[in-house]
Amino acid sequence: MTIRVLAIAALALAAASTAARAADPRYPNWPCTQAKVPEISLAAVWTGPALDDAETKWKDDAKVTALVSKLSARKTPMDEAEKSVKEFLAASAADKTANAKLLFAGLFDTLNAQRSQVMNGLERVSRKQREAADRIREETIQLQALQGAASRDDSRVEALSNELIWKTRIFEDRNKVVRFVCEVPTAIDQRLFALGRVIQQEME
Amino acid sequence: MLRIWRVGLLSGLALAAAPAQAFVAYVSNEKSNTVSVIDTDSWTVTKTIKVGQRPRGIEFTRDGKFVMVAVGDDDTIQVIDAKTQAVVDSLPSGPDPELFAQDAAGKILYVANENDNTVTVIDLEKRARLGDIQVGVEPEGMTISPDGKILINTSETTNMAHFIDTASRQIVANVLVDARPRFAEFKHDASEVWVSSEIGGTVSVIDPQKHEVIGKVTFEIPGLRKEAIQPVGIGMTRDDKTAFVALGPANRVAIVDVATRKVTKYLLVGQRVWHMAFTPDEKYLLTTNGVSNDVSVIDVAAQKVIKTIQVGELPWGITIAP
Repeated sequence: MTIRVLAIAALALAAASTAARAADPRYPNWPCTQAKVPEISLAAVWTGPALDDAETKWKDDAKVTALVSKLSARKTPMDEAEKSVKEFLAASAADKTANAKLLFAGLFDTLNAQRSQVMNGLERVSRKQREAADRIREETIQLQALQGAASRDDSRVEALSNELIWKTRIFEDRNKVVRFVCEVPTAIDQRLFALGRVIQQEME
Repeated sequence: MLRIWRVGLLSGLALAAAPAQAFVAYVSNEKSNTVSVIDTDSWTVTKTIKVGQRPRGIEFTRDGKFVMVAVGDDDTIQVIDAKTQAVVDSLPSGPDPELFAQDAAGKILYVANENDNTVTVIDLEKRARLGDIQVGVEPEGMTISPDGKILINTSETTNMAHFIDTASRQIVANVLVDARPRFAEFKHDASEVWVSSEIGGTVSVIDPQKHEVIGKVTFEIPGLRKEAIQPVGIGMTRDDKTAFVALGPANRVAIVDVATRKVTKYLLVGQRVWHMAFTPDEKYLLTTNGVSNDVSVIDVAAQKVIKTIQVGELPWGITIAP
């Protein structure tokens, strides 16, 4: 039983250190394989006309803000989102270019903010995971010492190994979640780029 | 009747004069576990082949008969018959193969195994494993010198380019480059090796005789964060005059004058561009864009993107029939 506990703890820690290698020295808490890009630059996703005051004015347009929040939600399927963009711009007539700029400025702001939130969360969890790994390591050593003691206290050994099992399980689950959440910033990049492409096509 | 004959002759002429020679490109899609086959005449996907899990490195055999694709999560390299476009065999790599290089004769294959810090040497005729070479942590980029004597392997974690003597299979030199080296490419005249660093954001130019970094290519794109510039794939024209460098999430390919090592132009392609391949006539360069799930076609002479082709999810590597 305790041997298994130790083995599980060791495995979990090994997995954690694998994830930590090849880290970017600029962002020591960044847990994902994809190198961190803290925010999306406009030039990476937009080759249309300069956004100018659209960058602030989009917030004053009720139609645009409503559409932005719908399009930014990951639950809105991409084909539905693209259709909404086309409909909105088709109905804009003379204001097409201005509306296109407002819409993209809103998406750029909103999705970038969403992305930053996810990234900050990832770094926070990764920091906590490192602390948890340290504690598991310490308690593993304690458990080994208890087992090797001349007058072995079986109830304490059992209590500590149960606690270790529990902590290791939480640690592993969180690692899985982190791996999964690492895909989210990329999914946001993808959505912004795809919507930007449709908006630019519609402007031509 | 005469007219029909004339029309027939004309269309025959038109066929003969058809400018674009059709080539076939194979693209590995890391997430959808498929390989897309692209016809370079119609610029369409003509077939999608189901392969093993996590296909990344992909290359034609020198005779053009087969396509090898490293399927990392299945710990093997699958062999696709180019005629039937079906998986027909597999090669014995180590765990988690990512990229590989073959010698000029197409007889020996060197495979970087990301998970056990080795390079596996495979006899391509017998399809048998000849041995392993111990290298740095997380080996990735692989290239072989034009004379076949030196193999270069980059290690993502130790930030080194290892120079391996292919005869003795021993490391003869380690050259430190910038953070997370991903790809290595020899100039055709063998005078320089270019190594891209994804996190460092540079390409190091190495003298392969002296084993020294003799220069660096740097990138700057107005309005773009430095972190977004992540150089990976490198392609060099046969005359060694122009290099193309894929810049990952900068969504751009840099065109570099090889002599001065300066960027002359940036081309906007798709999202997270990583690898590339020239058509054999060097008229076109195709790039894989992992996040927008497409392939960009660059007209090499005009230095322009002329087409975007949707492929599978997370396109990674690309190879074009010789």
